[in-house]
Amino acid sequence: MSDTSRIYLQPTPIRIWHWLNAFGIVTLGLTGIQIRFPEYINLFSGYKTAILLHNVAGVVVAASFALWFFYYSFVARNMLKVYVPNKDEVKSGLLRQAKFYLLTYFLGRPNPHHPTPENKFNPMQKSAYLAIMFLLMPLIGLSGILLINIEPMRDLVLMIGGLKILMAIHYILACCLCAFLFTHVYLATLGRTAFAYIKPMWTGWEEEESDDHQHLDHLAPRPN
Amino acid sequence: MKIDKKLLILWIASLTLFSGVGVSTLLLPDLLRGVHGLAIRFFLGYCGIIVVAQVCAFIKDNRHLWEDSSGEKKSSITLSILLVTLLIIFSSSAPVMALESGDCQGCHSDAAMVGAAFVVNQAAFDTTAHAEIGCPACHESVGPGHPDDGLAPSKVGCQDCHSDVSHEYAGSGHYGYADCNDCHNPHQVRGATAVSGHDMNQQCRLCHDSSKVVSGHTDWLPQAELHLVKLPCVSCHTAAKDNVITLYIVKRQSGAKISGLEPASYQELQALAKGKPIETLIDGNEDNYISLAELRLFNLNRKSNLSLQGMMTPETVTHDFSLLANRRDCSFCHASGPEARQTSFISLVQQDGSYRRIAVEKGAVLDALYGTPDFYMVGSTRSKALDYIGAMIIAGGLVVPIGHGTLRILTRKNRKEDRRSDHE
Repeated sequence: MSDTSRIYLQPTPIRIWHWLNAFGIVTLGLTGIQIRFPEYINLFSGYKTAILLHNVAGVVVAASFALWFFYYSFVARNMLKVYVPNKDEVKSGLLRQAKFYLLTYFLGRPNPHHPTPENKFNPMQKSAYLAIMFLLMPLIGLSGILLINIEPMRDLVLMIGGLKILMAIHYILACCLCAFLFTHVYLATLGRTAFAYIKPMWTGWEEEESDDHQHLDHLAPRPN
Repeated sequence: MKIDKKLLILWIASLTLFSGVGVSTLLLPDLLRGVHGLAIRFFLGYCGIIVVAQVCAFIKDNRHLWEDSSGEKKSSITLSILLVTLLIIFSSSAPVMALESGDCQGCHSDAAMVGAAFVVNQAAFDTTAHAEIGCPACHESVGPGHPDDGLAPSKVGCQDCHSDVSHEYAGSGHYGYADCNDCHNPHQVRGATAVSGHDMNQQCRLCHDSSKVVSGHTDWLPQAELHLVKLPCVSCHTAAKDNVITLYIVKRQSGAKISGLEPASYQELQALAKGKPIETLIDGNEDNYISLAELRLFNLNRKSNLSLQGMMTPETVTHDFSLLANRRDCSFCHASGPEARQTSFISLVQQDGSYRRIAVEKGAVLDALYGTPDFYMVGSTRSKALDYIGAMIIAGGLVVPIGHGTLRILTRKNRKEDRRSDHE
């Protein structure tokens, strides 16, 4: 390990949030398919199982969203910095990153973005995560919470335009999230090795080749 | 890196949140019972493992902090806080790993003459099937001398005509607790399709307390309250057949509490129809048929708080009042797919309080977003258009892995060479 430095990229609450999300969202997706297409798909024995599991997983994902939100707003206090792309990133960073994914990656060049705890995401990730964490997840979560028990909040449902509209919102957003998931998982395998980006999400530590990134050493606390 | 207080507080808060989720599942005991319980335990168990593994990794990564720095005492406090919170998680996820009549009317329409108990509402009676056979058919002992002859008028037994129903009812659990008249006033009784779903439940409420009914169903039925609003009791508690979707015009009652949606009265609808028959509120061309366009128009130009509320009502009712096991299987109604729920009606209140049904274009309830914006039966009334849009979105998400992945495989040589040259 002499030629690599380790950066502590993902703190514990974020790792917990991420993997609860991952497991929760996959469960939501699978149960969701059965709930919408019961005559074709029966993955979880009974319909009631699918409904109840979907509800429980939804509540877990919502709770985990709360953990993410509180962590970034009260502990790390860098939510906007991490998630909102700055001027340069919008102007040139997006293009540079897109160029990497669409062209230079295939030529074997390195990723122009080097993650640091303060700047974890590349400009494309930032834009995508901004839309997902601040728009998609809250909307899908709120519509889901309304759908868990409709009758007490019927007035709110009517304000939105009715149950069918609410269902449509929930379903279309779920499809968007599912589409993102495929891209997300695929792009996660684009590191030096297939697991190079996935491992840090579980352990917290990202290994980087030191000759490129010696300047990062001071940011990286070593555990031993 | 040091553990600051805020982080600890956050931890405790979030772990409490998660254990709250676990504990709340305990409050719904049925949630963890049976096959679905197993799936939920499995899910929550894995969630627990994720949290525990990450917390353990955190402890391991930071062991040096409490081993070499500010002494044993502080470290043991931190550790014990962590362990306690872990215990809360486990204890909450431990269970995790754990519902000729005209003559009569001369007197019997006037309470001052015969007393309130003997008044028969002529308008209501005229809409019943009993009106066709007339008063003397049931009260045959009443002769020209009535009431001065001193004879008590005879009442015919219901079973004389309704022997099938009577026989069926005699075998039900209700028998002995309620007579026919307790639920059906013979001077007002109407057929199953001439009353609203709400009216059907009125009879049940005379004995069965609404809140108890809700709590009795919550144990096993998801969205119990919703089901009890959307289904007449008899749909599940008798062998009633041929359920159809019936839509009623409901109105938010002024000054009503939350969800104060009640069937709009004839007078209210009449006022809105401005002199025309109330059918024109929704059946614009008065052809006694509701097209999809008319349904959509009604919903888009909603007048004064009116909206459509759908219920699943039976076409034929029975009197066996049995508890049907198949109604506990959600798929009885929900997993039949969109083809099974094609028949629907608009049911309009009439001046006499009865209901008249108008057929709705087949499939309308299912396909149009605006056809019935506030009616959705999960698993049964989804919109096909949305299915396709969703599939396209998901397919769009697959473009990146498939397209990029293909190019990635084709150009893998480039990256290998590049990496090798880096190392040399």
